[in-house]
Amino acid sequence: MDLFVNAIVAGILLGAFYAAVSVGLSISFGQLDIVNIAHPAFVIVGSYIAWILNSRYGLDPVLVGVLAAPIFFIVGALIYRIYYAAFERTGQESLSGLAFFFGVMFIIEVVLILVYGVDYRLVSAGYLSKNVDLGFVGLPLRLVVPFLVASAMTGAVWLYLSRTFTGRAILAVAQDRLALQLMGADPVRIKQFAFGLAIATTAIAGALLIMIGPVEPSLGRVYIGRAFAIVVLGGMGSIPGMVIAALLIGVLESLVSSFAGPSWAPAVAFGALLITLAVRPSGLFGRA
Amino acid sequence: MASRLIVENVEAGYGAVRVLHGVSMHVEQGESVVLLGSNGNGKSTLIKCITGIVQPSGGRISLEVDGERIDLVGRSPQAIVDLGIALVPEGRRLFPTLSVEENLMLGAYRPGARAKLAGNLEFMFEVFPVLAERRNQLAGSMSGGEQQMVAVARALMSDPRILLVDEPSVGLAPIMVNRMIAKIKELKERRSLTVLMAEQNFNQAIKIADRGYIIVHGEIAFEGASAEDLRSNDMIKRYYLGV
Repeated sequence: MDLFVNAIVAGILLGAFYAAVSVGLSISFGQLDIVNIAHPAFVIVGSYIAWILNSRYGLDPVLVGVLAAPIFFIVGALIYRIYYAAFERTGQESLSGLAFFFGVMFIIEVVLILVYGVDYRLVSAGYLSKNVDLGFVGLPLRLVVPFLVASAMTGAVWLYLSRTFTGRAILAVAQDRLALQLMGADPVRIKQFAFGLAIATTAIAGALLIMIGPVEPSLGRVYIGRAFAIVVLGGMGSIPGMVIAALLIGVLESLVSSFAGPSWAPAVAFGALLITLAVRPSGLFGRA
Repeated sequence: MASRLIVENVEAGYGAVRVLHGVSMHVEQGESVVLLGSNGNGKSTLIKCITGIVQPSGGRISLEVDGERIDLVGRSPQAIVDLGIALVPEGRRLFPTLSVEENLMLGAYRPGARAKLAGNLEFMFEVFPVLAERRNQLAGSMSGGEQQMVAVARALMSDPRILLVDEPSVGLAPIMVNRMIAKIKELKERRSLTVLMAEQNFNQAIKIADRGYIIVHGEIAFEGASAEDLRSNDMIKRYYLGV
Protein backbone atom coordinates (compact mmCIF):
# COMPACT_ATOMS: atom_id res chain seq x y z
CA MET A 1 0.00 0.00 0.00
CA ASP A 2 2.80 2.37 0.94
CA LEU A 3 4.49 1.55 -2.31
CA PHE A 4 1.31 2.35 -4.18
CA VAL A 5 0.83 5.76 -2.52
CA ASN A 6 4.47 6.55 -3.05
CA ALA A 7 4.22 5.67 -6.71
CA ILE A 8 1.16 7.87 -7.18
CA VAL A 9 2.72 10.86 -5.43
CA ALA A 10 5.99 10.48 -7.30
CA GLY A 11 3.98 10.21 -10.52
CA ILE A 12 2.18 13.49 -9.87
CA LEU A 13 5.46 15.25 -9.14
CA LEU A 14 6.97 13.78 -12.30
CA GLY A 15 3.85 14.59 -14.33
CA ALA A 16 4.02 18.28 -13.44
CA PHE A 17 7.61 18.27 -14.65
CA TYR A 18 6.52 16.56 -17.89
CA ALA A 19 4.01 19.39 -18.32
CA ALA A 20 6.87 21.91 -18.09
CA VAL A 21 8.75 20.02 -20.81
CA SER A 22 5.62 19.82 -22.99
CA VAL A 23 4.12 23.29 -22.52
CA GLY A 24 6.42 24.86 -25.11
CA LEU A 25 5.70 22.06 -27.54
CA SER A 26 2.00 22.56 -26.91
CA ILE A 27 2.50 26.10 -28.23
CA SER A 28 4.78 25.34 -31.18
CA PHE A 29 3.25 22.03 -32.30
CA GLY A 30 -0.25 22.39 -30.86
CA GLN A 31 -0.91 26.04 -31.71
CA LEU A 32 1.50 27.05 -34.43
CA ASP A 33 1.64 23.79 -36.42
CA ILE A 34 5.44 23.82 -36.21
CA VAL A 35 6.73 20.28 -35.74
CA ASN A 36 9.63 21.24 -33.52
CA ILE A 37 11.23 17.88 -33.00
CA ALA A 38 14.25 19.70 -31.53
CA HIS A 39 12.18 20.91 -28.57
CA PRO A 40 13.65 18.34 -26.12
CA ALA A 41 17.14 19.13 -27.43
CA PHE A 42 16.64 22.73 -26.28
CA VAL A 43 15.62 21.35 -22.89
CA ILE A 44 18.99 19.57 -22.76
CA VAL A 45 20.76 22.83 -23.64
CA GLY A 46 18.91 24.37 -20.71
CA SER A 47 20.21 21.55 -18.50
CA TYR A 48 23.79 22.10 -19.63
CA ILE A 49 23.61 25.85 -18.99
CA ALA A 50 22.30 25.10 -15.49
CA TRP A 51 25.13 22.59 -15.00
CA ILE A 52 27.86 24.98 -16.25
CA LEU A 53 26.77 27.94 -14.11
CA ASN A 54 26.05 25.73 -11.14
CA SER A 55 29.35 23.87 -11.18
CA ARG A 56 31.46 26.99 -11.91
CA TYR A 57 29.76 29.68 -9.85
CA GLY A 58 27.48 27.69 -7.58
CA LEU A 59 24.34 29.39 -8.94
CA ASP A 60 21.00 27.84 -8.13
CA PRO A 61 19.73 25.88 -11.15
CA VAL A 62 16.22 27.39 -10.97
CA LEU A 63 17.73 30.88 -10.97
CA VAL A 64 19.88 29.95 -13.97
CA GLY A 65 16.79 28.71 -15.81
CA VAL A 66 14.90 31.93 -15.17
CA LEU A 67 17.88 34.06 -16.21
CA ALA A 68 18.48 32.03 -19.38
CA ALA A 69 14.82 32.16 -20.47
CA PRO A 70 15.00 35.63 -22.13
CA ILE A 71 18.07 34.54 -24.12
CA PHE A 72 16.26 31.37 -25.19
CA PHE A 73 13.33 33.58 -26.20
CA ILE A 74 15.54 35.57 -28.57
CA VAL A 75 17.10 32.40 -29.99
CA GLY A 76 13.62 30.95 -30.56
CA ALA A 77 12.43 34.11 -32.31
CA LEU A 78 15.50 34.04 -34.58
CA ILE A 79 14.98 30.35 -35.41
CA TYR A 80 11.37 31.10 -36.34
CA ARG A 81 12.58 33.92 -38.63
CA ILE A 82 14.83 31.45 -40.47
CA TYR A 83 12.12 28.80 -40.56
CA TYR A 84 9.60 31.32 -41.89
CA ALA A 85 11.89 32.74 -44.57
CA ALA A 86 13.16 29.34 -45.71
CA PHE A 87 10.04 27.18 -45.53
CA GLU A 88 6.79 28.62 -44.27
CA ARG A 89 6.65 31.60 -46.64
CA THR A 90 6.86 29.26 -49.62
CA GLY A 91 4.60 26.60 -48.11
CA GLN A 92 7.27 23.91 -47.76
CA GLU A 93 7.12 23.63 -44.01
CA SER A 94 5.58 20.18 -43.70
CA LEU A 95 8.51 18.11 -44.93
CA SER A 96 11.45 20.53 -45.19
CA GLY A 97 10.53 22.12 -41.88
CA LEU A 98 10.58 18.76 -40.14
CA ALA A 99 13.99 18.01 -41.69
CA PHE A 100 15.17 21.45 -40.55
CA PHE A 101 14.29 20.76 -36.91
CA PHE A 102 15.81 17.27 -37.15
CA GLY A 103 18.99 19.01 -38.26
CA VAL A 104 18.81 21.51 -35.39
CA MET A 105 18.39 18.61 -32.97
CA PHE A 106 21.44 16.73 -34.25
CA ILE A 107 23.58 19.88 -34.33
CA ILE A 108 22.71 20.60 -30.68
CA GLU A 109 23.46 17.03 -29.67
CA VAL A 110 26.75 16.80 -31.55
CA VAL A 111 27.98 20.18 -30.31
CA LEU A 112 27.23 19.18 -26.72
CA ILE A 113 29.07 15.87 -27.18
CA LEU A 114 32.08 17.51 -28.83
CA VAL A 115 32.41 20.22 -26.22
CA TYR A 116 31.38 18.45 -23.01
CA GLY A 117 31.64 14.74 -23.83
CA VAL A 118 29.08 12.02 -23.23
CA ASP A 119 29.35 11.89 -19.43
CA TYR A 120 26.32 12.31 -17.23
CA ARG A 121 26.22 15.74 -15.54
CA LEU A 122 24.67 16.78 -12.24
CA VAL A 123 23.89 19.96 -10.38
CA SER A 124 24.28 20.48 -6.67
CA ALA A 125 22.33 22.66 -4.28
CA GLY A 126 21.96 22.31 -0.55
CA TYR A 127 18.27 21.48 -0.61
CA LEU A 128 18.45 18.82 -3.34
CA SER A 129 19.43 16.03 -0.96
CA LYS A 130 16.77 16.88 1.66
CA ASN A 131 13.31 15.41 2.17
CA VAL A 132 10.01 16.83 3.33
CA ASP A 133 8.06 14.43 5.48
CA LEU A 134 4.30 14.60 5.06
CA GLY A 135 3.70 11.85 7.61
CA PHE A 136 2.32 9.22 5.28
CA VAL A 137 4.96 9.79 2.65
CA GLY A 138 8.44 11.32 2.47
CA LEU A 139 9.12 13.53 -0.52
CA PRO A 140 12.57 14.37 -1.84
CA LEU A 141 12.99 18.12 -2.54
CA ARG A 142 14.83 17.04 -5.67
CA LEU A 143 11.30 16.30 -6.99
CA VAL A 144 9.24 18.80 -4.98
CA VAL A 145 11.10 21.93 -6.13
CA PRO A 146 10.82 21.03 -9.85
CA PHE A 147 7.12 20.26 -9.25
CA LEU A 148 6.52 23.73 -7.79
CA VAL A 149 8.54 25.58 -10.44
CA ALA A 150 6.97 23.55 -13.26
CA SER A 151 3.46 24.24 -11.96
CA ALA A 152 4.17 27.95 -11.66
CA MET A 153 5.60 28.15 -15.18
CA THR A 154 2.82 26.13 -16.81
CA GLY A 155 0.20 28.17 -14.96
CA ALA A 156 1.82 31.42 -16.04
CA VAL A 157 1.91 30.36 -19.70
CA TRP A 158 -1.73 29.31 -19.53
CA LEU A 159 -2.78 32.62 -17.96
CA TYR A 160 -0.78 34.51 -20.55
CA LEU A 161 -2.42 32.68 -23.47
CA SER A 162 -5.95 33.00 -22.16
CA ARG A 163 -5.87 36.50 -20.67
CA THR A 164 -3.81 38.71 -22.98
CA PHE A 165 -4.36 40.05 -26.48
CA THR A 166 -1.15 38.51 -27.78
CA GLY A 167 -2.01 35.22 -26.06
CA ARG A 168 -5.40 35.00 -27.74
CA ALA A 169 -3.80 35.90 -31.06
CA ILE A 170 -1.41 32.96 -30.56
CA LEU A 171 -4.40 30.66 -30.03
CA ALA A 172 -5.95 31.99 -33.25
CA VAL A 173 -3.00 32.25 -35.61
CA ALA A 174 -2.94 28.71 -36.97
CA GLN A 175 -6.73 28.61 -37.37
CA ASP A 176 -7.05 31.44 -39.86
CA ARG A 177 -4.13 33.69 -40.75
CA LEU A 178 -6.15 36.08 -42.86
CA ALA A 179 -8.87 36.46 -40.25
CA LEU A 180 -6.18 37.31 -37.72
CA GLN A 181 -4.84 39.99 -40.07
CA LEU A 182 -8.37 41.35 -40.26
CA MET A 183 -8.21 41.75 -36.47
CA GLY A 184 -5.20 43.99 -36.99
CA ALA A 185 -2.50 41.50 -35.93
CA ASP A 186 0.57 40.50 -37.94
CA PRO A 187 0.60 36.66 -38.06
CA VAL A 188 4.34 36.41 -38.65
CA ARG A 189 5.14 38.57 -35.63
CA ILE A 190 2.65 36.66 -33.51
CA LYS A 191 4.18 33.31 -34.48
CA GLN A 192 7.68 34.65 -33.94
CA PHE A 193 6.75 35.79 -30.45
CA ALA A 194 4.98 32.51 -29.69
CA PHE A 195 7.89 30.38 -30.87
CA GLY A 196 10.25 32.50 -28.78
CA LEU A 197 8.01 31.86 -25.79
CA ALA A 198 7.97 28.12 -26.53
CA ILE A 199 11.77 27.96 -26.59
CA ALA A 200 12.04 30.17 -23.48
CA THR A 201 10.16 27.53 -21.47
CA THR A 202 12.86 24.96 -22.32
CA ALA A 203 15.47 26.98 -20.40
CA ILE A 204 13.51 26.45 -17.19
CA ALA A 205 12.42 22.89 -18.05
CA GLY A 206 16.07 22.03 -18.69
CA ALA A 207 17.13 23.35 -15.30
CA LEU A 208 14.40 21.23 -13.68
CA LEU A 209 15.45 18.14 -15.64
CA ILE A 210 19.01 18.25 -14.32
CA MET A 211 17.74 18.75 -10.75
CA ILE A 212 15.69 15.57 -11.00
CA GLY A 213 18.47 13.42 -12.39
CA PRO A 214 21.75 13.38 -14.28
CA VAL A 215 21.74 14.54 -17.91
CA GLU A 216 23.77 13.55 -20.97
CA PRO A 217 23.57 15.08 -24.49
CA SER A 218 21.23 12.55 -26.11
CA LEU A 219 18.80 12.28 -23.18
CA GLY A 220 16.45 14.55 -25.11
CA ARG A 221 15.55 11.69 -27.43
CA VAL A 222 13.60 9.93 -24.67
CA TYR A 223 11.53 13.08 -24.31
CA ILE A 224 10.60 13.45 -28.00
CA GLY A 225 8.04 10.66 -27.91
CA ARG A 226 6.89 11.50 -24.41
CA ALA A 227 6.35 15.22 -25.06
CA PHE A 228 4.64 14.73 -28.42
CA ALA A 229 2.44 12.02 -26.89
CA ILE A 230 1.43 14.38 -24.08
CA VAL A 231 0.57 17.21 -26.49
CA VAL A 232 -1.52 14.96 -28.74
CA LEU A 233 -3.16 13.26 -25.77
CA GLY A 234 -4.05 16.64 -24.27
CA GLY A 235 -5.82 17.71 -27.44
CA MET A 236 -3.24 19.65 -29.48
CA GLY A 237 -2.72 23.02 -27.90
CA SER A 238 -5.12 22.87 -24.98
CA ILE A 239 -2.93 23.72 -21.98
CA PRO A 240 -5.28 22.30 -19.31
CA GLY A 241 -5.65 19.14 -21.41
CA MET A 242 -1.89 18.90 -21.79
CA VAL A 243 -1.40 19.21 -18.01
CA ILE A 244 -3.89 16.43 -17.31
CA ALA A 245 -2.25 14.24 -19.97
CA ALA A 246 1.18 14.93 -18.44
CA LEU A 247 -0.04 13.99 -14.95
CA LEU A 248 -1.66 10.86 -16.35
CA ILE A 249 1.53 9.78 -18.10
CA GLY A 250 3.58 10.63 -15.01
CA VAL A 251 1.40 8.54 -12.70
CA LEU A 252 1.13 5.62 -15.13
CA GLU A 253 4.88 5.58 -15.73
CA SER A 254 5.52 5.70 -12.00
CA LEU A 255 3.08 2.83 -11.32
CA VAL A 256 4.44 0.75 -14.18
CA SER A 257 8.04 1.18 -13.11
CA SER A 258 7.18 0.41 -9.47
CA PHE A 259 5.21 -2.74 -10.21
CA ALA A 260 6.46 -4.00 -13.60
CA GLY A 261 10.00 -2.66 -13.62
CA PRO A 262 11.54 0.60 -14.88
CA SER A 263 12.30 -0.78 -18.33
CA TRP A 264 8.56 -0.77 -19.09
CA ALA A 265 8.10 2.92 -18.27
CA PRO A 266 8.92 4.31 -21.73
CA ALA A 267 6.19 2.12 -23.23
CA VAL A 268 3.54 4.01 -21.26
CA ALA A 269 3.59 7.24 -23.28
CA PHE A 270 3.48 5.44 -26.61
CA GLY A 271 0.86 2.98 -25.43
CA ALA A 272 -1.36 5.83 -24.27
CA LEU A 273 -0.74 7.65 -27.56
CA LEU A 274 -1.69 4.61 -29.64
CA ILE A 275 -4.86 4.00 -27.68
CA THR A 276 -5.84 7.68 -27.89
CA LEU A 277 -5.26 7.88 -31.63
CA ALA A 278 -7.35 4.77 -32.12
CA VAL A 279 -10.22 5.67 -29.80
CA ARG A 280 -10.33 9.45 -29.66
CA PRO A 281 -8.04 11.08 -32.28
CA SER A 282 -8.82 14.63 -31.13
CA GLY A 283 -7.13 13.86 -27.82
CA LEU A 284 -8.64 13.59 -24.38
CA PHE A 285 -9.53 17.26 -24.22
CA GLY A 286 -9.51 18.29 -27.87
CA ARG A 287 -11.69 21.24 -28.79
CA ALA A 288 -13.96 20.19 -31.64
CA MET B 1 -13.80 62.81 -37.09
CA ALA B 2 -15.26 62.77 -40.54
CA SER B 3 -13.89 60.05 -42.72
CA ARG B 4 -14.61 58.97 -46.25
CA LEU B 5 -13.41 56.21 -48.51
CA ILE B 6 -12.42 57.02 -52.08
CA VAL B 7 -11.71 54.47 -54.81
CA GLU B 8 -10.32 55.85 -58.08
CA ASN B 9 -9.80 53.91 -61.33
CA VAL B 10 -8.84 50.70 -59.58
CA GLU B 11 -7.57 47.85 -61.76
CA ALA B 12 -7.06 44.44 -60.23
CA GLY B 13 -7.05 40.74 -60.99
CA TYR B 14 -5.55 37.37 -60.24
CA GLY B 15 -2.58 36.47 -62.45
CA ALA B 16 -3.56 36.95 -66.08
CA VAL B 17 -7.26 37.34 -65.28
CA ARG B 18 -8.31 40.98 -65.02
CA VAL B 19 -11.30 41.38 -62.71
CA LEU B 20 -11.64 45.12 -62.12
CA HIS B 21 -11.35 47.59 -64.99
CA GLY B 22 -11.04 51.11 -63.66
CA VAL B 23 -13.56 51.10 -60.83
CA SER B 24 -14.27 54.42 -59.12
CA MET B 25 -16.60 54.91 -56.18
CA HIS B 26 -16.78 56.61 -52.80
CA VAL B 27 -18.40 56.24 -49.41
CA GLU B 28 -19.16 59.36 -47.37
CA GLN B 29 -19.27 59.73 -43.60
CA GLY B 30 -22.37 58.12 -42.12
CA GLU B 31 -23.61 56.61 -45.39
CA SER B 32 -24.67 53.07 -46.17
CA VAL B 33 -23.52 52.22 -49.63
CA VAL B 34 -24.29 48.91 -51.28
CA LEU B 35 -22.28 47.27 -53.99
CA LEU B 36 -24.62 45.15 -56.08
CA GLY B 37 -23.83 42.55 -58.66
CA SER B 38 -24.12 38.85 -59.23
CA ASN B 39 -21.32 36.37 -58.62
CA GLY B 40 -18.06 36.86 -60.44
CA ASN B 41 -18.50 40.51 -61.32
CA GLY B 42 -15.84 41.82 -58.96
CA LYS B 43 -17.65 42.90 -55.79
CA SER B 44 -15.52 40.79 -53.50
CA THR B 45 -12.34 41.67 -55.38
CA LEU B 46 -13.04 45.36 -54.81
CA ILE B 47 -13.62 44.73 -51.10
CA LYS B 48 -10.37 42.75 -50.99
CA CYS B 49 -8.51 45.63 -52.66
CA ILE B 50 -9.82 48.11 -50.10
CA THR B 51 -8.81 45.86 -47.20
CA GLY B 52 -5.34 45.08 -48.58
CA ILE B 53 -5.96 41.37 -49.18
CA VAL B 54 -5.52 41.85 -52.95
CA GLN B 55 -3.10 44.46 -54.25
CA PRO B 56 -4.56 46.46 -57.15
CA SER B 57 -2.40 46.80 -60.27
CA GLY B 58 -3.53 50.35 -60.86
CA GLY B 59 -5.56 53.20 -59.46
CA ARG B 60 -5.82 54.73 -56.05
CA ILE B 61 -7.69 53.83 -52.86
CA SER B 62 -7.63 56.29 -50.02
CA LEU B 63 -9.15 56.98 -46.66
CA GLU B 64 -9.78 60.64 -45.91
CA VAL B 65 -9.81 61.53 -42.22
CA ASP B 66 -10.62 65.16 -41.41
CA GLY B 67 -9.48 66.24 -44.84
CA GLU B 68 -6.21 64.33 -44.71
CA ARG B 69 -5.76 61.62 -47.34
CA ILE B 70 -4.17 58.31 -46.44
CA ASP B 71 -3.27 55.97 -49.30
CA LEU B 72 -4.36 52.38 -48.67
CA VAL B 73 -2.74 50.66 -51.66
CA GLY B 74 0.43 48.84 -50.64
CA ARG B 75 -0.56 48.54 -46.98
CA SER B 76 -1.04 45.16 -45.28
CA PRO B 77 -4.52 44.11 -44.14
CA GLN B 78 -3.50 44.59 -40.49
CA ALA B 79 -2.27 48.13 -41.18
CA ILE B 80 -5.59 48.96 -42.84
CA VAL B 81 -7.54 47.59 -39.87
CA ASP B 82 -5.36 49.81 -37.71
CA LEU B 83 -6.54 52.83 -39.72
CA GLY B 84 -10.12 52.00 -38.73
CA ILE B 85 -11.49 49.96 -41.62
CA ALA B 86 -13.01 46.68 -40.45
CA LEU B 87 -14.23 43.83 -42.65
CA VAL B 88 -16.87 41.19 -42.04
CA PRO B 89 -15.40 38.70 -44.50
CA GLU B 90 -17.32 36.45 -46.83
CA GLY B 91 -17.77 33.05 -45.17
CA ARG B 92 -17.39 34.73 -41.74
CA ARG B 93 -13.95 33.27 -40.99
CA LEU B 94 -14.35 32.93 -37.25
CA PHE B 95 -11.78 31.17 -35.09
CA PRO B 96 -13.74 27.94 -34.66
CA THR B 97 -12.03 26.50 -31.58
CA LEU B 98 -12.13 29.76 -29.66
CA SER B 99 -15.19 30.77 -27.68
CA VAL B 100 -17.57 33.49 -28.79
CA GLU B 101 -16.13 35.84 -26.22
CA GLU B 102 -12.55 35.06 -27.26
CA ASN B 103 -13.48 35.80 -30.87
CA LEU B 104 -14.94 39.15 -29.85
CA MET B 105 -11.93 40.00 -27.69
CA LEU B 106 -9.66 39.35 -30.67
CA GLY B 107 -11.75 41.85 -32.58
CA ALA B 108 -10.50 44.51 -30.18
CA TYR B 109 -6.85 43.65 -30.87
CA ARG B 110 -5.89 46.95 -32.46
CA PRO B 111 -4.50 49.43 -29.90
CA GLY B 112 -7.20 52.02 -30.63
CA ALA B 113 -9.92 49.53 -29.67
CA ARG B 114 -8.46 48.01 -26.49
CA ALA B 115 -9.35 50.91 -24.25
CA LYS B 116 -12.99 50.70 -25.30
CA LEU B 117 -13.17 46.91 -25.02
CA ALA B 118 -15.48 46.64 -21.99
CA GLY B 119 -18.02 49.14 -23.29
CA ASN B 120 -18.04 47.74 -26.81
CA LEU B 121 -18.42 44.17 -25.56
CA GLU B 122 -21.38 45.17 -23.43
CA PHE B 123 -22.94 46.95 -26.41
CA MET B 124 -22.52 43.88 -28.66
CA PHE B 125 -24.10 41.61 -26.05
CA GLU B 126 -27.01 44.05 -25.80
CA VAL B 127 -27.52 44.10 -29.58
CA PHE B 128 -27.02 40.33 -29.92
CA PRO B 129 -28.39 38.85 -26.65
CA VAL B 130 -27.90 35.31 -27.96
CA LEU B 131 -24.15 35.93 -28.04
CA ALA B 132 -24.20 36.89 -24.36
CA GLU B 133 -25.96 33.61 -23.56
CA ARG B 134 -23.43 31.64 -25.56
CA ARG B 135 -20.32 33.61 -24.79
CA ASN B 136 -18.44 30.49 -23.66
CA GLN B 137 -19.54 28.29 -26.52
CA LEU B 138 -17.00 27.49 -29.24
CA ALA B 139 -17.67 29.65 -32.29
CA GLY B 140 -17.38 26.67 -34.63
CA SER B 141 -20.30 24.91 -32.95
CA MET B 142 -22.82 27.71 -33.56
CA SER B 143 -25.40 27.87 -36.33
CA GLY B 144 -24.68 29.84 -39.50
CA GLY B 145 -26.82 32.79 -38.46
CA GLU B 146 -25.22 32.99 -35.01
CA GLN B 147 -21.78 32.78 -36.59
CA GLN B 148 -22.66 35.69 -38.84
CA MET B 149 -23.64 37.69 -35.73
CA VAL B 150 -20.28 36.86 -34.15
CA ALA B 151 -18.53 37.96 -37.34
CA VAL B 152 -20.35 41.31 -37.41
CA ALA B 153 -19.83 41.90 -33.68
CA ARG B 154 -16.17 40.92 -33.93
CA ALA B 155 -15.57 43.42 -36.72
CA LEU B 156 -17.30 46.17 -34.73
CA MET B 157 -15.18 45.38 -31.66
CA SER B 158 -12.30 47.02 -33.54
CA ASP B 159 -14.24 50.28 -33.20
CA PRO B 160 -13.98 51.07 -36.91
CA ARG B 161 -14.56 54.34 -38.79
CA ILE B 162 -15.84 52.33 -41.72
CA LEU B 163 -17.41 48.87 -41.70
CA LEU B 164 -17.16 46.71 -44.82
CA VAL B 165 -19.48 43.73 -45.11
CA ASP B 166 -18.85 41.13 -47.82
CA GLU B 167 -21.86 39.02 -48.82
CA PRO B 168 -23.56 38.66 -45.43
CA SER B 169 -26.39 36.56 -46.92
CA VAL B 170 -24.23 33.73 -48.26
CA GLY B 171 -25.07 30.40 -46.65
CA LEU B 172 -27.89 31.75 -44.49
CA ALA B 173 -31.56 30.78 -44.47
CA PRO B 174 -33.77 33.60 -45.82
CA ILE B 175 -35.23 34.37 -42.40
CA MET B 176 -31.72 34.72 -40.96
CA VAL B 177 -30.77 37.04 -43.82
CA ASN B 178 -33.75 39.23 -42.90
CA ARG B 179 -32.69 39.38 -39.27
CA MET B 180 -29.06 40.00 -40.14
CA ILE B 181 -29.86 42.92 -42.41
CA ALA B 182 -32.17 44.38 -39.77
CA LYS B 183 -29.37 44.07 -37.20
CA ILE B 184 -26.85 45.77 -39.45
CA LYS B 185 -29.35 48.56 -39.99
CA GLU B 186 -29.94 48.88 -36.25
CA LEU B 187 -26.19 48.98 -35.58
CA LYS B 188 -25.69 51.55 -38.29
CA GLU B 189 -28.33 53.84 -36.82
CA ARG B 190 -27.33 53.45 -33.18
CA ARG B 191 -23.63 53.90 -33.81
CA SER B 192 -23.90 56.23 -36.84
CA LEU B 193 -21.63 53.85 -38.70
CA THR B 194 -20.33 54.25 -42.19
CA VAL B 195 -21.07 51.03 -44.08
CA LEU B 196 -20.06 49.57 -47.43
CA MET B 197 -21.81 46.29 -48.14
CA ALA B 198 -21.26 43.97 -51.10
CA GLU B 199 -24.32 41.82 -51.71
CA GLN B 200 -25.98 39.93 -54.51
CA ASN B 201 -29.35 39.74 -52.83
CA PHE B 202 -30.84 43.01 -54.08
CA ASN B 203 -34.08 42.88 -52.09
CA GLN B 204 -32.15 42.54 -48.84
CA ALA B 205 -29.39 45.00 -49.63
CA ILE B 206 -31.80 47.74 -50.67
CA LYS B 207 -33.22 47.82 -47.13
CA ILE B 208 -30.17 49.50 -45.73
CA ALA B 209 -28.95 51.39 -48.80
CA ASP B 210 -28.63 55.16 -48.87
CA ARG B 211 -26.91 54.82 -52.22
CA GLY B 212 -25.50 52.08 -54.35
CA TYR B 213 -23.45 50.92 -57.25
CA ILE B 214 -24.11 48.09 -59.67
CA ILE B 215 -20.94 46.36 -60.76
CA VAL B 216 -21.00 44.32 -63.97
CA HIS B 217 -17.95 42.60 -65.47
CA GLY B 218 -15.60 44.62 -63.30
CA GLU B 219 -16.99 48.04 -64.15
CA ILE B 220 -19.45 50.31 -62.41
CA ALA B 221 -22.48 49.93 -64.67
CA PHE B 222 -24.83 52.15 -62.71
CA GLU B 223 -24.61 54.57 -59.83
CA GLY B 224 -27.85 55.00 -57.92
CA ALA B 225 -28.14 58.19 -55.89
CA SER B 226 -30.86 56.70 -53.67
CA ALA B 227 -32.56 53.40 -52.90
CA GLU B 228 -35.47 54.48 -55.11
CA ASP B 229 -33.07 55.29 -57.90
CA LEU B 230 -31.66 51.75 -57.67
CA ARG B 231 -35.04 50.11 -57.51
CA SER B 232 -36.26 51.80 -60.68
CA ASN B 233 -33.12 51.00 -62.65
CA ASP B 234 -33.62 48.86 -65.74
CA MET B 235 -30.72 46.55 -65.00
CA ILE B 236 -32.03 45.85 -61.52
CA LYS B 237 -35.44 45.08 -62.95
CA ARG B 238 -33.91 42.71 -65.44
CA TYR B 239 -31.39 40.96 -63.21
CA TYR B 240 -33.08 40.87 -59.86
CA LEU B 241 -36.72 41.61 -59.94
CA GLY B 242 -37.58 39.69 -63.08
CA VAL B 243 -39.93 42.33 -64.48
